[in-house]
Order: sequence, then structure tokens, then C-alpha cells
Amino acid sequence: MTGDTPEPMMVPAGLRERVLEASWQARAAGRSVPEVQEISPAEAFSRAADAFYGLLCALADEDWARPVLRDLDVQGLVGHLIGVEEDVHRCLAGDTNVAEADHVSSTQAAATRQAGRPPATTRGEWRRAADRSLDLVRADGDLEAEVAVHGMRLPLSALLVVRAFELWIHDNDIRRVAGLPASVPDGSTLHLMTELAARMLPYGATLTGLREPVSLHLVLTGPGGGTWDVAVGKRAGDPAPVSIVTDAVGFCRLVANRVTPDDLDLHVTGDPGRAAKVLAAAAALALD
Amino acid sequence: MPTTLQEVRPDRAVISRPGHCTAGPPRASVFEVGGSDALLAARLAAGDDHALAEVFDRLAPVVYGAALRVLGEDSAAQDVAQDVFVELWAHPDRYDPAAGSLRTYLIVLARHRAVDVVRSELRRIARQERHYRLSPEQPHLSVSEEVTAAEAASVVRAAVRQLPEAQRRVVELAYFQGLTCREVARAADIPEGTAKSRLRLALAKLETVLDRELLEWS
Repeated sequence: MTGDTPEPMMVPAGLRERVLEASWQARAAGRSVPEVQEISPAEAFSRAADAFYGLLCALADEDWARPVLRDLDVQGLVGHLIGVEEDVHRCLAGDTNVAEADHVSSTQAAATRQAGRPPATTRGEWRRAADRSLDLVRADGDLEAEVAVHGMRLPLSALLVVRAFELWIHDNDIRRVAGLPASVPDGSTLHLMTELAARMLPYGATLTGLREPVSLHLVLTGPGGGTWDVAVGKRAGDPAPVSIVTDAVGFCRLVANRVTPDDLDLHVTGDPGRAAKVLAAAAALALD
Repeated sequence: MPTTLQEVRPDRAVISRPGHCTAGPPRASVFEVGGSDALLAARLAAGDDHALAEVFDRLAPVVYGAALRVLGEDSAAQDVAQDVFVELWAHPDRYDPAAGSLRTYLIVLARHRAVDVVRSELRRIARQERHYRLSPEQPHLSVSEEVTAAEAASVVRAAVRQLPEAQRRVVELAYFQGLTCREVARAADIPEGTAKSRLRLALAKLETVLDRELLEWS
């Protein structure tokens, strides 16, 4: 591109307002472009399950014995995920005992029982458990129905996104110890994750005890990203404006507590102290 | 209901998509994020309304200036500036930071749009001229039509200034003073056939000039 430089001119009064108004009408603020195809939370979970199963099929036998998370090896981690699916089954069947169950301890038995099994057995058991979850969801059909599991009470649609999120994160945990490159969900799935993460930030703030009110302008760049204005912290008092810009995948990894804010390419404006507390609230959303 | 159960209702969180149908500056207490053109482009693609306001505040003076330089008329230049920023917001992915700065991209876009406006007005005036030539009587123009015609005339002035004196004279008589070909000939003291040929030549040259400028700017 070439072109000489025009003289900067005083912008006429009212042009700014006119331009912004016309722009918002052409494209609503907050929506990323190019727009990702909208998919259902069940589809997102199904895709994450397929990707996870594909990874399990690609692992060598020795990979299953690699230490990966907490005191679990890869096989134990897959067992943990079997346990999670089993608790989801119970939740969907109306069993209120799983409502308060701890995400880790309630799945420990399923993790432990994998020891000594052939990897293919564990892999098959997990696939059947995930398929069973999908079958129950499709049979029930009401994605807006409130469900309660592992200390969370949330719409079934949100639970499915949480599940897809967890599968992707553990998929990448396994990839890391197996020496495989990290994976990124497709834009449609990632957008459901960023949307949920943005909406759950106030909940994360309650977990970390963020007291100061913050008016957060969150911009997540890249496929699956978007822009949100979120009220975080206490409602009382004047909220401090904080703007956080980072990429969508990195933010999701922060929400999963797999990276720290220092690992992200962050552009923060506003009170740095409150911004740090918002980021801590994001990381507090991690299940394990 | 379990007492320790945390309620996670993402649909009940105080959250919104920003900026829907709101004009004016972003909240005064929100600061500029700034950053590179690549970051600005990424923010625009993410639907960041603050990013568009920042780009406008930074580059509107040169975008509007570029349009005004071509068009020579404030109202039309504002329209072009609006088109440029709406285009950037609606299709931020059309800007490639690797190809050049956002400033240059918007200036070039403004010039293209401004030249398009001039060319469009020229075509409209040429059609009108043919219509007048074939009509025995001048049609009665409404007030709004007269205003539009006046704006059109001012839009083409900048391009007409580049014509040779003889051609510029007949164009000004025909389009800015509204004379018929016969009256143009009489006022310029030239045969009517010469007036017509100079007009045709002038219109063709204007198109050529604008085409060349368009190529130079792209």
C-alpha cells in the first residue's frame, strides 16, 4: 500500500457518535468475527469426547504409566474421568448424593481400580461412560434444567461445557507428559468455553473472596473469543473499571489453572491490583 | 438443599455484551489499551467496542482529511469517513497488519471511497446532461433535488479543477451554472458543436484522471 499523508483535519462535531452508532448497527459489539458456527453444548461435549478418545487410542502402552496429575498416572487420570462420568450419570438420574460430592475424592475409587488393567480396558470403560452421559443428556433433552454435582448447581447445558472443558484440559495434561503437541478445541467449542468462563467469573470472585467491586471489560482474542462486560466482586460501591485483553485459549488455560497470568500475553488497564484479583478469580474456577 | 452447595448460575451473572446500540465515547473511566496495530486488529475482531473508539480517536483526523481532500465538501467527507470506520468494524479481518499500518490502510480506503463518490456523481451528472439534452423543457426540481444537485456540483469541483482551462470553462458553465449547450456556446463564444465536444472530452478526461488517481493510491 502506498499513499501520501493527508493533512489531519479537525473532526466535525457529532461524527464520532454517528460513526459508532452506525458501527454497532452493522455489527453488535461483543461478537467476534469471523463468527464461529454455533453448536449445542451436547455437541461440544461429544466433540471433546471424540478428541479425547482419539488421543487415548494414539497412546503407547508405556504412556499410560506416566505420572500426570496429583498422584495419578495417565491410566489413573482416565479412571478419574470415568468416575466423573459416573457421578454425572447419578446426577442426571436424580441422585442428590453427588450434589456435594468432592470432585477428586468421589472419583478416587474409579481411578484406583484402573491399576494393573490393560490400557484398552480403561479406554473402553471411559468411552462407554462418556457415551452413556451423552445418551442420558439426549434422552432427557432439557438443557436448561438445573443439575447439581460436585458442589456446583448449574444448568445442564453449562455442565456439558464444563465437562468438555475438563476433557480438553486433561487431554492436554496427557499430551504434555507423552511428549505430544498441545491441542486447541475448534472455534465453536472454544466459544462455548470462553462464554461460560466469562459468565462464571463472578462465581470465581466469591471463591477467592474478592471484595472490591470491579467493572470488567474482558476481551478474548482469536477464534472462539469475544468481548464481555462483567460485574465482578461486591455489588456495593463504585466499581473500578478494569480492562483485560488476552487470547482466548490462554485465558481458558488460566481458568483451568494450567498457566499463571505471567504466562499470558496480557494487556491490562485500570487498577493493576484489582486486575490481578480478577485473574486469580478466573484461576479459581478450576476443578482440579 | 445442601447448605454447602455453591450455586453456579452463569445465566444469572451480571454480564453483558458490550456496546449494543450505544453511541458516544466509551465510559470515561475506561482507559485506552493501545498496543500494536496487530493487537488492535485482534481486539476489533473480538468485538471490542473500546478498540473501535480508540481507532477513531487516533485516526479519524487523517481519514476525514483524506476524504475531504478528494471531495472538497464536508458532508460528503463525513459520509466517507463513516463508511470507512463501519467497514473496519464490520470486516476487521480484511485488514492485514502484515501488509501495512492501520493508518495507511484506512487512508487508502478513504481515498478509494471518496473517488468512488466522485465517479458516481459524474456518472449521474452525465446521465442528467443527456436527459436535459433530449428534453424540450427543464424539469421542475424539488427543494431536496436542488440541494442534492448542489452537493453533487460541489463534489465534482475538485476533479474539475484539474481540467485544461478551455474544458474546465464549459464544464463550469454547463454543470455549475446550469446552462444548456447552446447557452454554453454563446457564453464561451464558441460554436455549439465545439461546446458539446469539449463537454464530452472533459467528462472522459475526468474519468481518466480519477482512474489514474485510484491506481496511484492503491
